[in-house]
Amino acid sequence: MQTETTEVLMPLMGEGITEATLVKWLKQPGDVLRQNEPLLEVSTDKVDTEIPAPAAGTLLQVCAKDGDVVAVNQIIAYIGNPAAASAVVSPNKAAAPADVHAAALRPVAATVAPHQDAAEAAPRRSSPLVRKMAKAEHVDLAQVAGTGLHGRITKRDLEAHQSKAPLNALTTPTAATSGTLKTTLVGDKETLEGVVVRREKMSRMRALIAEHMVRSVRTSPHVTTVFEIDMHRVVTLRDQSKAAFASREGFNLTFTPFFVYAAVQAIKRFPIVNCSVDGDDILWKDQINIGVAVAIDNGLIVPVIRDAGELSVLGVARRLQDLAQRARSKKLLPEDVQGGTFSVTNPGMFGSIVSTPIISQPQVAILSIGAIIKRPVVIDDLIGIRPLVQIGLTFDHRVVDGEGGARYLAFLKKTLEEFSPAEL
Amino acid sequence: MSAAVSFDLIVIGSGPGGEVAAIRAAQLGLKTALIEKAPHLGGTCLNWGCIPTKALLEAAKTYTKLQHAGELGFNVGQVSYDWERILARKQGIVDAQRKGLRFLMKKNKIEVFQGHGRLAGKGQVSVTADDGKVTTLATKAVVLATGSRIRDLPFAKTNGKSIINSDDILSLKAVPKTLCVVGGGVVGTEFASLYGRFGTQVTIVELAPQILPFEDADTVKELVRHLKKQNISIETGSKLTAVQDQGDHALVTTEGQKPRAFEQVLIAIGRAPVTEDIGLATAAITTERGFVKVNEHYRTSADWVWAIGDIIPTPALAHTASAEGIHAVEVIAGHKPPVIDYQANPNAIYTAPEIASIGRTEQALKEAKVEYKVAQFPFAPMARAKIDDATEGFVKILYEPKYRELLGVHIVGAKATEMIAEFALGKVLETTVDEIAHTIHPHPTISETIMEAAHVAMGGAIHL
Repeated sequence: MQTETTEVLMPLMGEGITEATLVKWLKQPGDVLRQNEPLLEVSTDKVDTEIPAPAAGTLLQVCAKDGDVVAVNQIIAYIGNPAAASAVVSPNKAAAPADVHAAALRPVAATVAPHQDAAEAAPRRSSPLVRKMAKAEHVDLAQVAGTGLHGRITKRDLEAHQSKAPLNALTTPTAATSGTLKTTLVGDKETLEGVVVRREKMSRMRALIAEHMVRSVRTSPHVTTVFEIDMHRVVTLRDQSKAAFASREGFNLTFTPFFVYAAVQAIKRFPIVNCSVDGDDILWKDQINIGVAVAIDNGLIVPVIRDAGELSVLGVARRLQDLAQRARSKKLLPEDVQGGTFSVTNPGMFGSIVSTPIISQPQVAILSIGAIIKRPVVIDDLIGIRPLVQIGLTFDHRVVDGEGGARYLAFLKKTLEEFSPAEL
Repeated sequence: MSAAVSFDLIVIGSGPGGEVAAIRAAQLGLKTALIEKAPHLGGTCLNWGCIPTKALLEAAKTYTKLQHAGELGFNVGQVSYDWERILARKQGIVDAQRKGLRFLMKKNKIEVFQGHGRLAGKGQVSVTADDGKVTTLATKAVVLATGSRIRDLPFAKTNGKSIINSDDILSLKAVPKTLCVVGGGVVGTEFASLYGRFGTQVTIVELAPQILPFEDADTVKELVRHLKKQNISIETGSKLTAVQDQGDHALVTTEGQKPRAFEQVLIAIGRAPVTEDIGLATAAITTERGFVKVNEHYRTSADWVWAIGDIIPTPALAHTASAEGIHAVEVIAGHKPPVIDYQANPNAIYTAPEIASIGRTEQALKEAKVEYKVAQFPFAPMARAKIDDATEGFVKILYEPKYRELLGVHIVGAKATEMIAEFALGKVLETTVDEIAHTIHPHPTISETIMEAAHVAMGGAIHL
């Protein structure tokens, strides 16, 4: 029987997951626990699992109930000796030992800054008003410093926290102000797990991309399926028309327009990849607007080829040229990056063979193009040399199943492998 | 014996601010001294304020009740009172409390010095006794709690006879036949309500458009309706131009009116902070419009001096001063008490009916363009109100519509001053209207009106 109190934290159950649903407590307050005995069930959009007790002792208090959605690293229960139970109420003793015992459940260091009073490591006291406001405004109270009696979080604290949040973005970063990683100052050097780090504020674009990527992964169950496609007809056609195209249009014909064209033809056949999901509803769209990722300095932008359903390969090429040029010279208009219904990304131009991109919300699919590489292939039992490309479709499994994804790619493969000059 | 003794803390002034601060300091282990200029401890509150006035107001309440005893089924015959005995009872209560305070000082080993206390340079406080002897004390910290004095009207000097102030009126030899109350603030209105019920014809002259200008217009309107039945006439928006002593009476002139004769005139235009001659300059302490400037922990511009109560620009109320005193002393003793939220500071007016409030008035919310909703419930339908013969009054809750945060609560009626404590707690805990509606209130009590008013906000009262 231990004498200290152990905090039980909601564990991190996957990259990008910030919260989990507490499905059910398997133990009740007062129950005596063995270490690693199943304590509760949790569920995220990726996994359902049981969480074991991080320490032996009595379950003193649970801080969340069945069905609650709890932020990762938030305290959900206390385990300890009932004789020391008052330590939970009078929190002066509760703070230090918790670190040791909760470590098993704590993939990242606790977010409670070390300078704070011991009181603040205890269950976060707040008020009915603060809890309502925090819920409505999505504020994680674990991040708010309480100045009320015994560290209670008051409305004033919450408002101070909220007004401070955007301010931090403007001030020089200091240790552990903006993130949740626990860093320590050694002399004037900030360190993370003993390694000296240099803190740099993300650019606005970087921060937005980061937020969007995390949100997308949380929203859509991603599945990727890859086809290998023989490009010799397209390559031949493109090589034949390249010189004439360049002199006529003033820019080079690349392969991307072929892929976009093929993607559009396959969408016309399988429009489910061009929809959005709204709760239990599917929103079908009457336009095919293809977002094409363009790499720019320290980020990317995804201009949209609107009404791509109407365009030939050359039509796509002209629109793409215009958008890419304006993207790199920062002359895109807001409508140039809005309303995309499907995305195409081409990391193959940097040598990538296969990639698994993240869907741009609220779309449900993204096509990724690998590098076109000449490979030996067996054709009619003879070995030949063919330019091959790996094309992947990453789709939202809520609305598209493996079969649908494969059939979409099979149609796209057929479009490219049987490409006729008439389609140019 | 100059600078012979050294203290951790010296409190100057023994009113509800200083006395409480000194006791809390002693409890926290500080070697504490308390300096009081007056012969008795307790300051304005105990000697000339809260306690004696409430003792007299309670007598007025009893008198009214006895006059209506017939309606309640009692045969009491002709009811009369003995003013001298009423004053004696009041004085008995004051004396007992004074004694109690002396005992508390002794019990907490607080050294009491009688005399005029002044800051006398860093870490020094001088006490000038009535006989002129000066003692200098050394201290680590000082809490200034020197309180306030009655504000005079330059053209109506009080003489203790026909023109009196709120100290004089506590020991009038007899109840006057006519009384003019200049100033319809809390003090003036309470005395009007007191003497009106003892039969005095009272006239309140108030410059503002409403008596009790800082209270909600609705509760004041309800009170005014009752005051008029207590031999009181109220003249708001009325400017006093002259008060002349005529020996056994005084002549009062207001703008546009002929002079009127009153047996006595009470000047009740407010109180002023006592910040002169307490040595502020020796410690380079800054003031603003007569008030000592302090931070949210009541520390002055001198890091060893704190100031609380009526000498700082917070509500000049006894309970407020006590809370500030406790806060300051806890900070001095190295604790970190939560900052006082004045929106949770209750106001209590002991008229008949009583008014009690917390937070902001409806007119203040309107002026500040704060979005709010009103939930109101009357005493009348409640059984307890009928049993108590106290059906006049209501609870009015002003709340923010989104989260139903309490913005202001205004109660008029019997026991309003007791009931407001529930909202003071609610405000400190940042309770919303929802929690109040979900709190079970005992039946039958008038406090059920609080729950019912909360139900109104939640969509509908039960008993209306």
